[in-house]
Amino acid sequence: MTSQVPDLWPPSAQEVVFLLLGVVALGSALLVVTTRQLVHAALWLVVCFGALAGGYLVLTAEFVAWVQVLIYVGAIVVLLLFGIMLTRAPIGRSAGLDSGNRVTAATVAVGTAAVLVTVVVQGFATAYTPLEPGGGAAATLGASIFRSWVLPFEALSVLLLAALIGAIVLSRTDIRPANPAADAGGPAAPTTPPHPPDPAPPPADGSGATAGETGSGRVSRDGG
Amino acid sequence: MNGTIPAPTIEYALLAPMLVVFGAAIIGVLVEAFAPRYLRSAIHKPLTLLTLAGAFVITIWQARTGIPTTPSAMGAVAVDGPALFIWGTILVLAFVSVLLINDEGHFVASAAAVPGSAEEERALTEGATHTEVYPLVLFAVGGMLLFPAANDLLAMFVALEVMSLPLYLLCGLARRRRLLSQEAAVKYFLLGAFSSAFFLYGTALLYGYAGSVDLAKINTALGSVGGQDTLLYIGVAMLGVGLLFKIGAAPFQAWKPDVYQGSPTPITALMASGTLVAAFGALLRVFWVALGGLEWSWTPIMWGVAILTMVVGAILAITQTDIKRMLAYSSIAHGGFLLIGVVALGNNQQQNASALSALLFYLVAYGFTTVGAFAVVTTVRDAGGEAWHLSRWAGLGKRRPLVAVVFSLFLLAFAGIPLTSGFFGKYAVFQAAVAAGATPLVVVGVVSSAIAAFFYVRVIVLMFFSDPAADGPSVVIPGGTWAVGAVAVLATVVLGVFPQPVLDLAHTAAQSLFVR
Repeated sequence: MTSQVPDLWPPSAQEVVFLLLGVVALGSALLVVTTRQLVHAALWLVVCFGALAGGYLVLTAEFVAWVQVLIYVGAIVVLLLFGIMLTRAPIGRSAGLDSGNRVTAATVAVGTAAVLVTVVVQGFATAYTPLEPGGGAAATLGASIFRSWVLPFEALSVLLLAALIGAIVLSRTDIRPANPAADAGGPAAPTTPPHPPDPAPPPADGSGATAGETGSGRVSRDGG
Repeated sequence: MNGTIPAPTIEYALLAPMLVVFGAAIIGVLVEAFAPRYLRSAIHKPLTLLTLAGAFVITIWQARTGIPTTPSAMGAVAVDGPALFIWGTILVLAFVSVLLINDEGHFVASAAAVPGSAEEERALTEGATHTEVYPLVLFAVGGMLLFPAANDLLAMFVALEVMSLPLYLLCGLARRRRLLSQEAAVKYFLLGAFSSAFFLYGTALLYGYAGSVDLAKINTALGSVGGQDTLLYIGVAMLGVGLLFKIGAAPFQAWKPDVYQGSPTPITALMASGTLVAAFGALLRVFWVALGGLEWSWTPIMWGVAILTMVVGAILAITQTDIKRMLAYSSIAHGGFLLIGVVALGNNQQQNASALSALLFYLVAYGFTTVGAFAVVTTVRDAGGEAWHLSRWAGLGKRRPLVAVVFSLFLLAFAGIPLTSGFFGKYAVFQAAVAAGATPLVVVGVVSSAIAAFFYVRVIVLMFFSDPAADGPSVVIPGGTWAVGAVAVLATVVLGVFPQPVLDLAHTAAQSLFVR
């Protein structure tokens, strides 16, 4: 990958833009963790992600850049903003944002950054790759995903399906077979065993709105 | 590129076992979506078992028709001798675990209900069940099949996630001790996510070093790329963290006792057998195929990890009072014994093949024994579920001699007593390690085996020589569990008395070593 290395000075236009974008990304990242206004932090995150996307664009990875904008700026930050909106109604300057662990957190962050920067500098200090337009275009990436990486790609779709099923299992509260006795509103037998051996076939649906009493005599919450 | 992409070549026949499992998982999802509720369980049970049996038959058929010598599916998967052997092992162990899952009463009625709330009570009285467990198990098994066969780090990472994600979920579905189960699931998820991140970062750094994520190309790059050792070493270390976490090697073993304790016991059995086998297959492939040329650098670290794992597993197991935690620490110790075999990589082909076949045999022997042991754990029950505290097992030998004898057999196999499968497993691995010059490691292994034997024997003594409590636990053996116990006993005894056929099979599988 190493080819003829050009001189560092004068810098090319790409290098200057890349450097500026890096400064913007770093500065806004610092502001994300230091600002005292939650909404501002989320918005600074937009700037940070945007600058990163610009960096990708300069490196000719245009598809990754747009994915960064769509997913991180478009989806994740919006999700964050909605989260803030729904949980903290009065927004503005808030005092209690500083964590008690900030010294530890800062140490860990600086340490991680130091290790990573060292590794990358040591590994790639002398490497040079000429930028070719279109190297990271959607066409190239698509061809490579659906040719070389087709099996991992399909496995990923299986993973997403499994995650979906799991999310439904963990969150859906109305999964229960309808109890005909409960449906009719009639009192169940007082000594219903904890596991009825043979649950009766459910009628069409609407089992979530069962009213009546369960075996233990407790009035069900969403029905009563 | 103008709009046309040459179609990739996929060897569907070679990948058939994996595709069958994934296909059946998707059919299972459709069953969940369209079948009426009272039919679902009746459809899932035969579907899951038939799928696993069918995939096993296909694996056998593949092994008989000839083993390919090149990677398949555009280089993403290597279906070679060891991979086929591991597939067969995983499929049989998963089949046996599904038999355990089939028996009633292991899974929560409604996972979303708050533990102890009225909703949970009502879900229980209405007999609700989570039949989604079956497709999730099939997804996990599919991931387990892909993981040890992956021929590049990217496919391996995807497989790792496909294997782990359903397991994170299944951990949280225990019917009894709900809070413990949920805690286990969250802990496993968070720590697993961390370890996956380590794996991915290691992959990225190795890509930076070698310019490829293909295992064989990384090995080639070891000899040709110079001056980027920092990338290589940090990449290997991070990759190692990800893989060692999955097998629960010290110092990354902390999740294992908590997760094994909190999960529904059939899922614990699946994790302790299938996941361990799959993770060892992947570990061997990464360290022998991709990093074989770097042996001098990683062997000392692996020595340390193996010693620490054995000692930590054996010593901490002594202090446990929960039977499932004790078995979890025993599983950690066994991970250490298996790591001895990983270290036994030598310079000649023959020695590597013998070390590999020893490891494969050990995995089969340990897998069956551990599934059997967890099956016995499910049968001894108190009013509130399984009798988890060791003191409740006192005097079991006098009340239910057969169950106690079977459990003792499994414990003796864990300890490696002759005439059980565990003995030949340990013997084969230790022999391979001595041949590779790792004698001090073997000494540590034997010593920690002795320490481990102490707490296995302690349980046996507790069962046979203590007086049973008046209100002792009852023993309930449903049909599936009975079959699992019988299979595990058979495997443990047959592999202990007459191990030659399986040793030969492992030897044949290992002869070709991993495809490069």
